[in-house]
Amino acid sequence: MADVAKKDVVLQVDNLKKAYGPVTIIENFSMKVHAGEAVALTGRNGAGKSTVLRCLVGADRPDEGTVTVNGTKVTETNPVIRRTVATVIDDLDFFPDLSVVEHLDLLARAHGLHNPDDLVDEVLEEVQLVPQAGQLPSTLSSGQRRRLALATAFVRPRQLLVLDEPEQRLDVEGVAWLGERLKAELAGGLAIVLASHEPSLLQAIGARELRLSGAR
Amino acid sequence: MMDPRLTEVGVVDEKQLKLLMRDWRRGRADRSLWQALSDGYVMVFSIVVIGAMMVSSILQAQQTASICETAGCVAARGLLPWASVAGILAFTLVVARLFGPVVASSAEGFWLMDGPTDRRRILAGRLVGGIAAAAVLGAAAGALIASLTGSGASEIGIWALAGGLGAAGLIAFAAAEQGVDRHWIVTGVQWIIGAAAIATMVLLVSGAAGWMDLGGLTLLAVELAYIIAGVGLLLIVVAGMLAFHRLRNIRRQRLTSGGSLLSGLQGAAFALEFALIRDILVEAKAKKRGHVRPTRGTGSGLGALVMRDVQRLWRQPMPLITLVATIIVPYAVQALGLAMLNPPISALVLLAALVPFMNSLRVLTRTKGLQRCLPFDPGQIKQAAMIVPAVLALLWTIGAFPAFLGVAGGVASDPVTAASSALVTGIAGLLAAVRWVSAKPADYSGPIVATGIGAMPPGLMFSLLRGVDIVALVTLPIVFNWPVWISLIIAVIAFMILRSGLDRDSMLEQQAKQKKQLEAEKARRSGGAAAPAKKIQVQRKR
Repeated sequence: MADVAKKDVVLQVDNLKKAYGPVTIIENFSMKVHAGEAVALTGRNGAGKSTVLRCLVGADRPDEGTVTVNGTKVTETNPVIRRTVATVIDDLDFFPDLSVVEHLDLLARAHGLHNPDDLVDEVLEEVQLVPQAGQLPSTLSSGQRRRLALATAFVRPRQLLVLDEPEQRLDVEGVAWLGERLKAELAGGLAIVLASHEPSLLQAIGARELRLSGAR
Repeated sequence: MMDPRLTEVGVVDEKQLKLLMRDWRRGRADRSLWQALSDGYVMVFSIVVIGAMMVSSILQAQQTASICETAGCVAARGLLPWASVAGILAFTLVVARLFGPVVASSAEGFWLMDGPTDRRRILAGRLVGGIAAAAVLGAAAGALIASLTGSGASEIGIWALAGGLGAAGLIAFAAAEQGVDRHWIVTGVQWIIGAAAIATMVLLVSGAAGWMDLGGLTLLAVELAYIIAGVGLLLIVVAGMLAFHRLRNIRRQRLTSGGSLLSGLQGAAFALEFALIRDILVEAKAKKRGHVRPTRGTGSGLGALVMRDVQRLWRQPMPLITLVATIIVPYAVQALGLAMLNPPISALVLLAALVPFMNSLRVLTRTKGLQRCLPFDPGQIKQAAMIVPAVLALLWTIGAFPAFLGVAGGVASDPVTAASSALVTGIAGLLAAVRWVSAKPADYSGPIVATGIGAMPPGLMFSLLRGVDIVALVTLPIVFNWPVWISLIIAVIAFMILRSGLDRDSMLEQQAKQKKQLEAEKARRSGGAAAPAKKIQVQRKR
């Protein structure tokens, strides 16, 4: 823990508050996430995990409080934030006319990788979508779509990874793979914030757990 | 051991099943059709007003077309119904192929088709309904086109007959093919009719320009309408009978896929989300295709987005062919003597032709998930996604320029005026397509307006006008003979708004900042007082 404290703070959240109408989902929520550290948001359904994650990436505007990444205030449209934060939350869309491998190739190139073929092939292999490389997203199963969504986070530069229930729709082997992959990411100095209902995944990556109590 | 209650299986009466379903549906209805129409008086009133405007425009166009006396103009007028009816027939086949044409909902597929029912008895009504609907809509479209070209009442009736019977016959034909699960013949016929429509437009322009003598052809106009009507009637009888006999063998999947698509489209249509309707169709097409030969991209950064759009052109050449074919429209409109209306009409056609090239822009603007994965601000992303369509619009404009010069007949203009009109048309078509694709859907979380047919968000009322509004704004100065720079200034403003949007985040942030400043100022002013002023107590008499 002492080691983690010495590392740079990647994500800082101060006094976050978010309400939908009269229902306050989250209030006075603060946390710091250092490089190489994983923080897991846990709690029952409706506790506000996804709401917090959406505020962290700028998809939702908090009513109060601030979220900064490397000292820069998070706004969804800021290219610096977009470059730094890789996100897999529930609003990821796909191009209907681009195949699986073309999505990864496009993202890698958009992030400035000039020759991303090796990296793309590697990640494709890792998420076990090589046979589906030429398939269009609408023909993928829900689990395969999840794997593609996760792959989009791994073919691009990143300092902070935000994942909303990444284990969803993955099979047992898939969850085990994800645990190993996230461990490797942490070892490489990445900061991770995730919401999860899968204790084995949290245990595998040694995540610090923050339990959310829910709406009032 | 089988449950004894399941061993005595009676004979299914499909008619009774249908009556039962109708009773359930009626039992759940909370208002009649007439009540719904009475409640929707706003919509009825709007339709009446818009209808009156359309009729007025048609009459005006008819007058313009009627006064054209040159040989070219007369030739163009005689051929336009040919091209239009061919277009209507091709469109009928596209719709028929898309949905079935005979459809069943997923629920019917699961609950009825799996049982020991006779599918023909369940589906026969739908076959007849489809044929009848095609007849009515085809006739209306045929009559509209004929009246637009200044035809007399008898000719309008004949072309209505051709459009109606032709469309109905093709629906019967497509249904017969659906019964044997065969696609290629319908696709082939659709291509032939589509090609005939384009060829007729080319003939029309050639005749109007005086490059070709169409005298003999135009004399055939009404005879051709009779031929189409006759063939349509024959198809209704022969193909209709075949389709009826084959109804029993239609695969369930072929029935329900069209039904699911239709119900999805209905949902989007009720919300007037035409871009969403297109999304559903594109998704259905992608699902059907399933697989592509993957290609590696080129370039990096924003260039990668642009280059991927270029690669898409080779993958799906059909929209490119359609775009090239639409260049004929400004020539035809000019040849018909409608020079003043050429910019708005051609820009609307260009809008429709450019939308298929904007898949990137659509996906990157409809939800923010994928956009957030890209390391650029939204304005940069939109601009990159507009580059390929903009280049295509420019090429289209160059191709259409001679039309505005009057080389194919109609009103001749000097090169500067023609270039201005062509440029404004191209820009209006491009910006309108961008608006159509990227406009935000109606916001149901904001204020809601009370109307006779229930509460609705204000944005919903303008959904119908998306894209058309930009065409009107940018091209109307040309129509009214105002200087071209007015159109260009409007286009620049429209581009800036479409590129960046109204940045809601920064606006909200600014609002919050101002609120804080105001509160701080209030606190500073009240800071001078040592204690809050004591409230005056008022004793009210009871």
